[in-house]
Amino acid sequence: MKKALTPKEIFSRTMLYLVVSLICIFILYPYFVMVCTSLKSRSEIFSMNSTVLPIKPMWENFLEIWKRAPMGTYMLNSILIATGSSLIAMLCGIPAAYALARMKFKGQTAFLGFIIVSQMFAPVVLLIGIYKVMSTLHMSNSIIGLIFINAAFNQAFTIWLLRGTFMSISEEMEQAAKIDGCNRMQSMFKVLLPMAAPGIVTTLIFIFINAWNEYTVALCLISTDTFKPLTVGINIFNGYNIIEWQYLFAASLFAIIPVLIMFMSIEKNLTSGLTAGGVKG
Amino acid sequence: MSKKTSAANKSPLLRRAEPYLWIAPSIILMTIFIIIPIFTVFRMAFSEVSKTGRIRGFAGFANFLNVMDNPEFSKVLSNTVVWTILVVVLSTVLGFILALLLNNKFKGRKIARAIVVFPWATTLVIQASAWKFIINKDYGALNALLKTMGLIQTNIDWTPTPEAFFAWEIACGIFVTIPFVCFTVLSGLQSIDDSYYEAATVDGAGYFQKLFNITLPLVKNSLTVATVLNIIYVFNSFPIVWTMTKGDPAYQTDTLVTYLYKLAFYNGKQGEAAAVSVIGFTILLICASVYMVSTLKKGDE
Repeated sequence: MKKALTPKEIFSRTMLYLVVSLICIFILYPYFVMVCTSLKSRSEIFSMNSTVLPIKPMWENFLEIWKRAPMGTYMLNSILIATGSSLIAMLCGIPAAYALARMKFKGQTAFLGFIIVSQMFAPVVLLIGIYKVMSTLHMSNSIIGLIFINAAFNQAFTIWLLRGTFMSISEEMEQAAKIDGCNRMQSMFKVLLPMAAPGIVTTLIFIFINAWNEYTVALCLISTDTFKPLTVGINIFNGYNIIEWQYLFAASLFAIIPVLIMFMSIEKNLTSGLTAGGVKG
Repeated sequence: MSKKTSAANKSPLLRRAEPYLWIAPSIILMTIFIIIPIFTVFRMAFSEVSKTGRIRGFAGFANFLNVMDNPEFSKVLSNTVVWTILVVVLSTVLGFILALLLNNKFKGRKIARAIVVFPWATTLVIQASAWKFIINKDYGALNALLKTMGLIQTNIDWTPTPEAFFAWEIACGIFVTIPFVCFTVLSGLQSIDDSYYEAATVDGAGYFQKLFNITLPLVKNSLTVATVLNIIYVFNSFPIVWTMTKGDPAYQTDTLVTYLYKLAFYNGKQGEAAAVSVIGFTILLICASVYMVSTLKKGDE
């Protein structure tokens, strides 16, 4: 049987709902503005008496941006950069996380410390150094260069999350596989990695999102329009004197929505991944 | 050691070398793209650097002195400090409160959680553009909204002074940082066993007693990690200021990172920009270690 709520409980419940809904509205507000503005005409945006909602939705804005800017190229570049970065980050990060979780070696603590300290150096303060190194390697103004930089700056997170995942999986199964004659590689590929798959996918998507959203390094290194990712490319509508807000926001939505869906799919796993890394750390 | 002797006791040596082979790819990647740039920046900071970025020779502290002589530098530095402290402190407090709210059991909690956390996945440059549009005096969405609601008759100028614009940038910084804090704290809160609270309730503990005696100590670790990462991210945050004002007018809204970007890529003063980078690292290193040491110490007591 359900207990009747006391007036005090009813009051605190109501307050909770009220506060939470207000916060949600507040958080969604910029997105609401972006959607509304992307559906307005230029004259409607700049009119002195602009309304909140578009008077007559201009769906053609979403087609117009593809004609006015190489949106397809930007999007392809973003996909290439995000996919490449996350794959390289995993390729280097999985063995390192495996060694940290399953082996004992001199310098282990030093390596972990180095990973944490590397977080301290954001790409933006190193831009001058990065620019110089990339010029020497002939990788400035190239998508390959951005892929490597994103992979490198996401190594710390990759290793941290994967190490936590690997450590939360019992070693027994791998030992059993070894007794059956598997070597280390085989036991990793056949036993550990399949069991760690959820954690690996979570990390992969997390790096993908980070690389997709990266702005500063791409802004600095890429000068050729056709190499720009979405985050930098959409600013074609953000001119010095005229900002085409309706197109800027329409294009922005194309940059936001794919990663939003991906993020939703990993949100729950990311929580447990972070805690696993934290508890065992 | 020659190859032959190593071949004789190959397996123990190989076994000892094995872990290093496993971490090698990661180390190579980070060395080329993080460590070498760090060294390059330090080298440039102490060298005379030409406009095209060629290093001409040792210059001692000349770049640092030049930077400090720039009249705008103290403004940029104080902006950076204000920006970092306000954004980190306020977003931590607000994110923490929000996480406590969302940790209650109520209908629609999952949706609310998703809404609060998802801005984390939106790139900062787009969030900053949206806020730039919202607060515009002539056609901004905020004025339009207030007018529609009948709260104002004429448009309000939200950014009459550079300070006001900077305050909006800080607000935007807080707005985009809350999801991160909220997310980390929530993941810490969810790992707390309900039995602690039940026992405390039986003992007659009130809400705030439970908060300070159970919740805070138990989420302290995840909160510390989140705060250190936050200090680093916020201090180094570039897109918000760059999108909203580019540091204009006259360096009034610049922080260290936008300032060094301008020095390096607009003014061709790469040596000075490198010096600003080094100053930035130093401040960050001091702040982060002081914070870490003080929180860890408190934990020991």
